[in-house]
Amino acid sequence: MNAHDSHRQGFSFTTALAALVVLMLLASQARAELLIRITEGADSAIPIAVVPFAESGAMPAGDRVSSIVQADLTMSGEFRPLEPSRMLSLPSQRSEVYFRDWRLLGQRYVLVGQLTRSGDRIEARYELFDVNREERILGETAGAPASNVRTLAHHISDRVYEAITGDPGVFSTKLAYVTVTGDGDNARYRLHVSDVDGKRSRIRLESREPILSPAWSPDGKQLAYVSFETGKPVVFTHELASGERKKVADFPGLNSAPAWSPDGKSMLLTLSKDGNAEIYRLDIASGNLTRMTNHWAIDTEGAWDHTGRGIYFTSDRSGGPQIYHMERAGAEPRRITFGSRYNARPRPDGKGEYVYYVHQRDRAFHIARTNLKNGEESVITRTESDESPSVSPNGRLLIYATQQNGTSVLTVVSANGGAAYSLPASDGDVREPAWGPIVR
Amino acid sequence: MKGHERETISTDTAPLKSPVVMSVALHLLIVGIALAGWSWTSPISEPEPRTISARLVSPEPRPSPVVDEQDQRDREQERRQQQEREHQQQEAERRRQQEEQARREAERQAQEQARQREEERKRQEAQARERAEQQAREQEAARQRAEAEAKERERQRAEEERRRQEEAKRKAEEEKRRQEERRRQEEAERKRQEEAARQEAERKRQEAERRLREQQLEALAEESRREREAEARRQQEAAAARAREAQMLSESEKYQALIRERLSQAWYPPSSATEDMSARVQITLLPTGELVNARLVSSSGNTAFDNSALGAVRSLSRYPIPSDRDTFERYFRQFTIEFNPQRLR
Repeated sequence: MNAHDSHRQGFSFTTALAALVVLMLLASQARAELLIRITEGADSAIPIAVVPFAESGAMPAGDRVSSIVQADLTMSGEFRPLEPSRMLSLPSQRSEVYFRDWRLLGQRYVLVGQLTRSGDRIEARYELFDVNREERILGETAGAPASNVRTLAHHISDRVYEAITGDPGVFSTKLAYVTVTGDGDNARYRLHVSDVDGKRSRIRLESREPILSPAWSPDGKQLAYVSFETGKPVVFTHELASGERKKVADFPGLNSAPAWSPDGKSMLLTLSKDGNAEIYRLDIASGNLTRMTNHWAIDTEGAWDHTGRGIYFTSDRSGGPQIYHMERAGAEPRRITFGSRYNARPRPDGKGEYVYYVHQRDRAFHIARTNLKNGEESVITRTESDESPSVSPNGRLLIYATQQNGTSVLTVVSANGGAAYSLPASDGDVREPAWGPIVR
Repeated sequence: MKGHERETISTDTAPLKSPVVMSVALHLLIVGIALAGWSWTSPISEPEPRTISARLVSPEPRPSPVVDEQDQRDREQERRQQQEREHQQQEAERRRQQEEQARREAERQAQEQARQREEERKRQEAQARERAEQQAREQEAARQRAEAEAKERERQRAEEERRRQEEAKRKAEEEKRRQEERRRQEEAERKRQEEAARQEAERKRQEAERRLREQQLEALAEESRREREAEARRQQEAAAARAREAQMLSESEKYQALIRERLSQAWYPPSSATEDMSARVQITLLPTGELVNARLVSSSGNTAFDNSALGAVRSLSRYPIPSDRDTFERYFRQFTIEFNPQRLR
């Protein structure tokens, strides 16, 4: 070793010493720097100001676009829109938005927009701002025929919802449900399709005999349902655009509980043609049947899981109706529900996180869900006599039928049970809701 | 012009006549003498008559002066000579013989004279030549002298020049030497002054060093005294700091809880949130509790979730922070908030 090396060694020693000191300082700083962990969020919905849109040109009569958006966001249970009467100003574009004002009002987001009539169409320019970050998080132009302002409004609701929550909005999806008026020989069963807020309802089928279990095809173009119009339960498919109907299951005995597969090529059916109610898979194109369950007890109400291979179903093989999951055809079913004697009509959320079902407790029927990861069960609805749950395609909302003042109505709740929203009452009983898919 | 030229020619011609005549006469004379001399010198073959013819020419210039002198003397002696005439006849013969003798003598003399004249001429020519040569020599000498003199003058001038240059050089050297001398003196003076200054500076330096040493000694004493005091104070402070630290920590924990509560109320986890999502936001506060900066330092991977965390952090108009400045600086000037939902709705 020569002098140069020893010098370098000396230098590196000094460097190492300096580095050590710096590290110690950093370590002490790192130790000093506080970390506060937030593990719970607000229990309330997100405050958002949906400012009435500025309008230029003749607008169609009826609900304002911003009112529809406000109602949509309210229905979601995740937002708490500010009453327009409490707004300090009514901006319609960015230059008019004073974040300080909206912060003072406790708002997290502000939606502003302008509507312009051009011929038969309405054009909307709208912007969504994050009040605290003072940033525009959405800005878009959308248009629709003047006769379809609700379509435009639901589209805006979807975009706002997705921008804030990261989940797709479901305000443009459709509902199918069945109403019943009269009784005895005057009874009328009607199959309706409407917006998710119950508006723009149209009757697709009217019958003197019961209509049950409507189910949407994955592309949202067809419904399958059980109709007693022939005197016995028969499964039909119904093309909505053309009204064309097909009898897909007319086997001896019971034909019920249709459920489309995610790829739309087959459906699950409950048939009793072999003596006992069992679940079959029907290949729609060929009409071939594959038996999915084989048990002396009743197996019914099959529903595909999110993988598209396994199914959930109701079986009374344990003595009472319980929810089972079968990972694939022929696999041993696994019981999901244990909390009560009656759990039926499973509806998975499409994400593999929860399965929802009708749950009887203390003589009352509620909608409950089970966390598929930990098996934890929670009751979601506070109403009684609840039935026919249907999960929104984003898994965030649930619609079900319940009794209200002696008639059955449809109610939408947050999937976590946080908020409930009843669809406007229509004539007679409303039952058997089915939430349609998101159609892009 | 022509008249003038002609005049010039006529004046040239006139003086030529006499030298030509004289020259012809002289030549004739010289030829005659030469012939007489030549016949004299070779008498063996020369006939007598030749001598008579020469006599015709020769007596004229020579006897006339002699006759003049004889006449004058004869008249004085006329009578005596008459008496003796007979005698003189004989005498005449003898005299004729004598005269012949004399004539031959005269001839000889004439020849001798001619020879002498020739010699004289030659001598004169020689002399002339000598003179010419002498003159030439003298001219040559004069020329050489002039040359020598020119050379001498040149030499003197060169010498003068050289001397002048030498003088100038000498003077320049003299001047240079004087300047050198002056410079040396100045240098010596400067050195002397420098030396004096150096000595002065050295003296001052030593003085300053001495004072510095004294001050250092004083400072050392002071320092050790201060260190003892500082050590004592440090120990006190360390004890106080430990107590303070504990106090600050408990104070900090109190405000951490307040901040956690406020943020929990302000945070709206988006519906897409899952329990395994976590976002960290580093925030910087003013001592008033106002937010200066919020920075996402760790993303959850979900934009809506990250935005909900940032929104929550920014929604607090004033953070609850301790009034104690040290506790604030230590814990709340800058800290990190982690958003990690443990219980989703």
